[in-house]
Amino acid sequence: MLESLNTVALSRWQFALTAIFHMLWPVLTTGMGIYLVVIEGLWLKTKNLTYYHHARFWSKLYILNFGIGVASGLPMAFQFGLNWAPFSLAVGDFFGTVLGFEGTMAFMLEASFLGIMVFGWQRVPPLMHWVATICVAFGANLSTFWILSANSWLQTPAGGVFVDGKFQVQDYFQAIANPFMVNSFLHMFFATLETSLFVIGGISAWYLLQNRLPNFFTKSLKVVLVMALIVAPLQIFVGHLSAEQVYRYQPAKLAAMEAQWETIPAGTSASWSLIAIPDEATQTNKVDVKIPGLLGYLLELKPTLDSPVLGLKEWAPSDRPHLIGLIYYSFRTMIAIGLYLAALVSVTVFIWWRTGLAGDRLGNYKWLWWGWIFAGPLGYIAVEAGWIVRCVGRQPWIVYGQMRTAEAASALPPQVVLFSLSGLVALYTIFFFAALFFGSRIIQKGPNVALPVPGLRNAEELEIRIKMAEHQPDSRPLETQQ
Amino acid sequence: MDTNPLAPLQHFLPQVWFCILGLFLFLYILLDGFDLGIGILSLTASSEQRRNILMTSLGNVWDANETWLVLMGGSLFGAFPLAYATILNALYLPAVIMVVGLILRAVSFEFRENANNKRVWNLTFGVGSFLAALGQGFAVGTVFEGINVDAAGNFAGSMWDWLTWHSVLVALTLIQGYVLIGSTYLIYKTSGELQNTHYKTATIATWTTLIGAILITITAPIFHVQVREQLFQPPLFYVFAAIPLLGVFLIAMLLRSLKRREESMPLVWTFLIFLMSFIGLGFVIFPNIIPPSVTIYEASAAPSSQVFMLIFVAFLIPIMLAYNLYNYLVFRGKVVA
Repeated sequence: MLESLNTVALSRWQFALTAIFHMLWPVLTTGMGIYLVVIEGLWLKTKNLTYYHHARFWSKLYILNFGIGVASGLPMAFQFGLNWAPFSLAVGDFFGTVLGFEGTMAFMLEASFLGIMVFGWQRVPPLMHWVATICVAFGANLSTFWILSANSWLQTPAGGVFVDGKFQVQDYFQAIANPFMVNSFLHMFFATLETSLFVIGGISAWYLLQNRLPNFFTKSLKVVLVMALIVAPLQIFVGHLSAEQVYRYQPAKLAAMEAQWETIPAGTSASWSLIAIPDEATQTNKVDVKIPGLLGYLLELKPTLDSPVLGLKEWAPSDRPHLIGLIYYSFRTMIAIGLYLAALVSVTVFIWWRTGLAGDRLGNYKWLWWGWIFAGPLGYIAVEAGWIVRCVGRQPWIVYGQMRTAEAASALPPQVVLFSLSGLVALYTIFFFAALFFGSRIIQKGPNVALPVPGLRNAEELEIRIKMAEHQPDSRPLETQQ
Repeated sequence: MDTNPLAPLQHFLPQVWFCILGLFLFLYILLDGFDLGIGILSLTASSEQRRNILMTSLGNVWDANETWLVLMGGSLFGAFPLAYATILNALYLPAVIMVVGLILRAVSFEFRENANNKRVWNLTFGVGSFLAALGQGFAVGTVFEGINVDAAGNFAGSMWDWLTWHSVLVALTLIQGYVLIGSTYLIYKTSGELQNTHYKTATIATWTTLIGAILITITAPIFHVQVREQLFQPPLFYVFAAIPLLGVFLIAMLLRSLKRREESMPLVWTFLIFLMSFIGLGFVIFPNIIPPSVTIYEASAAPSSQVFMLIFVAFLIPIMLAYNLYNYLVFRGKVVA
């Protein structure tokens, strides 16, 4: 018994850590893919070489992230069978189908065109290159769709019935378009885009702060601003819709997100907790600072509720999530970051509107650039926090209300899982720091504006390019430079 | 059952999926085979410039090549959930070795690119390639030999079942095969001194692969009952009698084209040798998917599942092949550094 308990815990740790680590890389590549489509499209439309060099510069960070994303995604693809064989058997008919779709529709599209996007600048015409970039970005986001459909199905299983513990699909489309799917996909789609935009914005701000290539990097920042002005508020709205769905479909998770032990009956005022120290032993919050009526406004747009908010005590301890503090603070961290990013982009757009962000005045806004640099990593933290709320809050279920996590793990010897877990943790730690190191090296080196421009025939244009070039020889062999 | 409109398909569908998975696996072994082979060969590269060419020849394709494996995993999960769960459960450690190897080599590309001291990442690239090939070899060897399962088809063996002298033999042979296809790919993609080197490595690898293949062919029917039973049933007996003859012919043609310094034919002959071995392996395993006892019919997902997935995947296979081909076409010709 003790052995199987350890195996479940270790398998959960392994899944959690590999998922948390894996998430860091595709978050940037899926979002940045869209940015690259926009910036390359701007180049094709305006013929302004700055956009071309932006595309080249950001692709360097892109490809660095992509490699680690692929590498860390491999254990994800096999882990269901390796560590969660009973789960794979029970839900394979649907879950496996969706993962198969992700591979055939999304991964192959992305992988095949990535080579052309990164190395094919001189080998295909500019328009075809742009098509390749679009395919890469589309593939990545299609992958988000399938993963979020699969994960949403774990939250709100639909489209079939469980017979003797095995899920039998009756309607695939209903299972794919399960209740959580639309909002969850949109929330993640905007999350990857928003994170990437603020990474690009943060790095651009770092250059502006040092007054290095200011004209070049105000350009990338302005594209970020236009996109983020739409995305950041929309993300808050979609996040709100997602939370409302949790209230409706997963009341125990909502109670954990709010650290709400007692049920708030219908017709009473529902306050929103700002700071709390949940204590699972006594089933109370040691400290609880509340904003009166706010939860009511959030859920039903009025201080008193028409339907009750169930408290955690409504469920037996074995039927509700644990780690309440983690869920509670992860949720609040995500909200705080979402609000900060939306505020930051609003302030910056206001300043842009008043001053035009002209080169000579950029030095006046050092505080603003620091605000952007600070915002750079925040998107990642929000994404990870959101997934913690989503998946830790789903416990003790692996398929909500249908299959328990404890019943889903393979009966492996714990030492074996410990072996793979520690191997992966060791590798991932090294990769994390190596990626930071090489990423900052790419940033410090800066853009190489001497790269050959595809499709350039005109000698005059060539002259312009040479004039603006700040020569930095690329270390890659000629073939890969292209 | 009779009311189920899909009932007549219950025999046919698993066979279709067996073939599709076979196609994915074959494309993976072929494409990531030269990829991993070049990785292993890079351990012996005599200069940084040569290593540059080796890695550049893979830059645009390694990711797509590896994707065939992910695709195989996903499709196996969807079409034969029992096989996905049981096989991975039985192959936990080889799978971890393979995944760690693939991870190491995947990150090496960009880390090496950006590093001043490339030595660390040269090593992770080569060693990662080797580990991935080794893990795959153990996996193929184990599936070939058979997996211990209970009545329901769940894994009932121990964590170290995969490690036998026979799986070691299969693993070593697969590595030779990867080095062979890697060498012939490099003959096709490079010129001059580098090409000369790989004419040599290709010739050596042909002989080592041949020795491994002969040992496997001789030992398998002697030691594995299920293989023997499978082999000596007509009409398969004739197929299996033809395979060694065909194999000897193909290897002779390969050696001849290496001797004649042909540039693309060695790759073609190697491709045919891989195809022939793969078809042979497929015949040994069919109709099982978890040898020796679980058939594709028992391990299948519900027919509705297989139909649903088939509609999309069958439509996507030609598309996937087309854009893979396009990728190779865009980067055709010799690699220059």
